[in-house]
Amino acid sequence: MNLFKLSWKNIKYRPLSSGLSILLLAAGISIILVTILTTRQLDDKFKKNVENVDFVVGAKGSRLQLLLCNIFQVDNPTGNIRYAKANAIKMHPLVELAIPLSIGDNYQTYRIVGTTEDYIKLFNGKFQEGEVWNEPMQAVIGGGIKEKFDLKVGDTFAGGHGLGESTHSHDDVLYKVVGILEKNNTVLDNLLLTSLESVWVVHAGESHKAKGSLEVKSLDELDSLAKANMMTLDEFKAQNAKEIAEEDAHQHDDHDHAHHDHDHDHVQKVINYDSLLKTINPLDREITGMLVKVKEGSAKAKLSVSATINTYEGMMAADVAIEMQLLKELMSPATGVLEMLAYVIMIIAAISMFVAMFNSLKDRQYEIALMRVMGSSSGKVFASILLEGIYLALLGFTAGWLLSHIGMQIFSGYLSEAYHYDFSGWIFIIEELYILIGALVIGVVAALFPAYKAYRADISETLSK
Amino acid sequence: MIKTEGLTYQYKNQSEIKFPDFEYSQGEQALILGESGCGKTTLLHLLSGLLKPSKGKVSINNTDLNSLTGSNLDRFRGANIGIIFQTPHFIEALTVKENLQMAQTLAGHRKDEKAVESILSDLGIGHKLNASVKNLSQGEKQRVTIARALVNQPKLILADEPTSALDDKNCHAVIQLLKDMAAKNNATLLIVTHDNRLNDSFNQKLQLS
Repeated sequence: MNLFKLSWKNIKYRPLSSGLSILLLAAGISIILVTILTTRQLDDKFKKNVENVDFVVGAKGSRLQLLLCNIFQVDNPTGNIRYAKANAIKMHPLVELAIPLSIGDNYQTYRIVGTTEDYIKLFNGKFQEGEVWNEPMQAVIGGGIKEKFDLKVGDTFAGGHGLGESTHSHDDVLYKVVGILEKNNTVLDNLLLTSLESVWVVHAGESHKAKGSLEVKSLDELDSLAKANMMTLDEFKAQNAKEIAEEDAHQHDDHDHAHHDHDHDHVQKVINYDSLLKTINPLDREITGMLVKVKEGSAKAKLSVSATINTYEGMMAADVAIEMQLLKELMSPATGVLEMLAYVIMIIAAISMFVAMFNSLKDRQYEIALMRVMGSSSGKVFASILLEGIYLALLGFTAGWLLSHIGMQIFSGYLSEAYHYDFSGWIFIIEELYILIGALVIGVVAALFPAYKAYRADISETLSK
Repeated sequence: MIKTEGLTYQYKNQSEIKFPDFEYSQGEQALILGESGCGKTTLLHLLSGLLKPSKGKVSINNTDLNSLTGSNLDRFRGANIGIIFQTPHFIEALTVKENLQMAQTLAGHRKDEKAVESILSDLGIGHKLNASVKNLSQGEKQRVTIARALVNQPKLILADEPTSALDDKNCHAVIQLLKDMAAKNNATLLIVTHDNRLNDSFNQKLQLS
């Protein structure tokens, strides 16, 4: 029967008061840990996602929204900008990379993003299967999407209109999965990527459905070239049907889709996309944003590029570094409040532990005296009570630690559903060690005074009572 | 074996109490009698080194208790003196066995499960080995305190009103056990009491006034 066992049994003997101390400590520790784990993972993702982007170009509006929408894929687009105009920034000698993004459709609330192959390269996306699209309506899906929906190369899916749960889907034109990316902890994981053309194609049909015929907005902006290339959707359909019929006539024998002959309404798969795209005025082709990387990223170069962009009508450039700083500042009060709450709970835990030990020692005066009678030195008594505080701290830490990691893991499912961001509970950080040390300090401090009281106790007086 | 000389104790309220000199040799058994409030418990605490006398000294086996301080005194007490108190107290979180083992380790002895078992069965409570101390009857509790006082085979056994809470039947049984166990270990047994039921059981008596 040594002191370690004795202290342990003493804690077990008072399950309610020990339990309360442990619970409070665990609550404080788990809140701190969850806060740290979340901000750490967010920071990490943020860093990975903005690494190679200096500016986000988009429609005038909130710069932060522009950043959130086009980099982190969380907020809505600020509006559309004309692709042809935005693309002009590529001509700037200091622009190294400009990646267009067209956001606005979803698959089961996960975003379908029209872009170029550069977007995948920007995040160092690697293919676990398949390859990048080479014609419209082909899609490359992120590793997370593959896991969630079990999509395989060759599968088809319909995009839903809008970014939330859609009221109608573009089921007249289906996407076909041609590539699957490996998970790499960036936004790519939870996106379905396709070419810009796909998005335009999908919405060409959309406009027709809604209004009965393809209507071109702002006719006055059309240049003569565009006018020459325009046709109505009816004209397009007629032409498309003719082309298909010709194709069928040529390759009738080896064509898989035998039923084409019977029903031409169900043959979207062989839409001639080039023709369809011609129905959209090039000047009306829109995107929601453009990611810009400046050569060498010097302050001067950035200033020059952003100045140029800001002269474009209806467009603005959001500086990623500045907006990130702003975002952090926006978030820090929230995490600050949480952390504060956690520290308050920790202090309450320390006080509760102190009161619990102090009370239990009052009941145990006689036991302490007995220990001394049986030959224990007052130092040993002191140590045994300090040990109780340490045990409580260790138990509180362990419970809080488990709670935070398991909770985080459970919570991550919710987060991933709500924000399409994947978090993990199985990430371990050095701060946990500091928190353990902090918990031990709390245990020792709370036990110190009760231990000292026991150390100084007048055993003769206690025993005479 | 135990010897007092000019033992005087001054209470916090300044009143002073003087005890007669006495000496008992190894294996002797004696009653120290006195009415309530005459300093019986004080004497017992002085004899066991729980209190320091203001004057005079206590020697046990030629060791002057005054010469021992701090943890040395605690260790000496644990190893040489077994004390039985008026009301039985235990470390409540522990079982009977664990309480006795605690006594062994705190006295600096090795944990000896056989000794624990044999002393408990000597006292007729072997079956309570793993019982929680809370669930014992009053008589059983007193026996366990005796077992705890004797488990380290001390040379001196001090008992403070060991029978005051017991009925006649248990009283005589407990005293007989104490006497037998002391005799078995050849320990000196001093019982401080005002319980006249014990008078017939002892030849040696010391009256405090």
